[in-house]
Amino acid sequence: MQSAVAKAIELILSGNAELMNILSVTAKMSLQSSVIALLLGLPIGIWLGSCRFPGRNVLLIANRTLMGMPPVVCGLVFYMLFSGVGPFRHMKLLFSVEIMVMAQIVLITPIVVGNMETYVSGVAPAVRETARGLGLGGFKTFLLLCNECVYPIISAYLLAFARSIAEVGAVSMVGGAIAWKTNVMTTAIMQHTNRGNFTLGVALGIILLTVSLLVNIVISVLQRRLSR
Amino acid sequence: MILPAFSKTYEGRTVLDFPGMEVQPGNIYAVIGANGSGKSTFAKILAGSLKADHRIKPMEGIGYMPQKNYAFRMSLKKNLLLNGSDEKRADELIEALQLSSLAQKRADRLSGGETARMALARLMMKRYELVLLDEPTAAMDMETTLLSEELIVGYVRETGCALILVTHSLQQARRIADAVWYFHKGQLLEHGAKETVLDRPERAETRQFLNFYGI
Repeated sequence: MQSAVAKAIELILSGNAELMNILSVTAKMSLQSSVIALLLGLPIGIWLGSCRFPGRNVLLIANRTLMGMPPVVCGLVFYMLFSGVGPFRHMKLLFSVEIMVMAQIVLITPIVVGNMETYVSGVAPAVRETARGLGLGGFKTFLLLCNECVYPIISAYLLAFARSIAEVGAVSMVGGAIAWKTNVMTTAIMQHTNRGNFTLGVALGIILLTVSLLVNIVISVLQRRLSR
Repeated sequence: MILPAFSKTYEGRTVLDFPGMEVQPGNIYAVIGANGSGKSTFAKILAGSLKADHRIKPMEGIGYMPQKNYAFRMSLKKNLLLNGSDEKRADELIEALQLSSLAQKRADRLSGGETARMALARLMMKRYELVLLDEPTAAMDMETTLLSEELIVGYVRETGCALILVTHSLQQARRIADAVWYFHKGQLLEHGAKETVLDRPERAETRQFLNFYGI
C-alpha cells in the first residue's frame, strides 16, 4: 500500500503523459458541464424560489426526483438516444466528450436548481417586501436578490462541479472510457484497477480526493461567511 | 388622499374589513389595536405586499417599512443609497439616528435595533405621498425610539406626506400622532383626533382596550 502511494506521488510529479491527458479530459468535461448547468439552473432556481404559481410544486417534485436520478439511468437514456438505433444516431456523438458533457448537465443542473430554490425561497419574500416598500422596480429587485445569493451561487456551482468530477456511471456508459479520448479520472481508476495497474489508479484517487477536499474547504468557508 | 375600502379573508374568516378613509397630507395617523386586530394586514395590503379579497387599484407614491426589516448584504450607507443617490441626505440621516460609527459596517450584521434605525433612514431617503410604518420602533430602546420619533415627525413636516404608524405603544401614539385609528377584530371601530380616541372614546371596546393598556 505504502509503495503504491509513493509510486503514485512519483507518477504525479513526473507529469506522466497519460495522466495529464486524463486530467485534461476531466477538467474539460467537468468545467463545461458545471458552467452550463449553472447558467441553466440559476435562473430556474431563482424563478422557482421567488415566484408562486400553479404547478410549482409539480416542478419542485420533478426536480427533486432528477436530483436523485441514478447516473447509470441517465447514461442508459443517452446511450439509447444516441446509439446506432436511437433517434439521434446521425449526430455521431456517442463515445465523445460532448455527450459526456450533455449527460453531466442533465445530472447536475437539478442540483443547482434545488440549492438555489431552497435559498431563494427563504430570502425572496423579505427582499421583495422591502424592495416594494421602497418603491424599487422589478429589475432592481432581481439584482438585489442575486446580490443576496452570491455565496449560495458559488456554493451551488462547487457542489455541481464536485458531483461532475466524481461521477462515473453515466460518463463510462456514454463516453466508453476510451484511452486518450474520453477517459476521465473516475473511469480511468476503474479501468486501471481492473488491469491491476494500481499506481495510476492511486495517483488519480489522490488528485480526486485533493480536488474534493479543496471544494469542500471553499464551501465550508462560504457557509461560515453566510451564517455570520 | 383617499384610501380604498378592502377586506381580507383567510379560510372563510374575515380578518380585516376596512371601510376606506381619507388621509390629510402632513398628518400622522396611529393605528392601534390588540394582537390579531388586523393592523399589520391593513398596512401590508395598502403597501401592495398582500392581496386583498378583491383587487384594489395599486396606489402610487407609497413608502412602506415592514415589521421585519431586511438589511441587504452591503454597508449600512449603501443600503440607504439604494433608495436615492443623495449622499448628503444619507449622511444626515445616518447622523440623526446616531449610526455614524456603523455607516461602513455590513448592514446584515447589525443588531435588531440598529437594523430598524437603518431601515427607517433608508425609507426616508425618498419623498412619498403616503408612508406606512409597521411598528418601526418595536426593537429600539427608549433613547433611540425618541430619536426616531423626532425624525419621523420632522420628515412628515418637511415632505408634507401623510404617515400611517402601526404601533403597540399608546404612549407613542399620544406623543407623535395627530389622529388615532382603533382596530378591533379586523374592524376600524373608532377613529378621530388622538385626544378624542385616547381620552374620550365612544365605544366600550375602545375603553376596555385603553384601560387594559393603562391609559
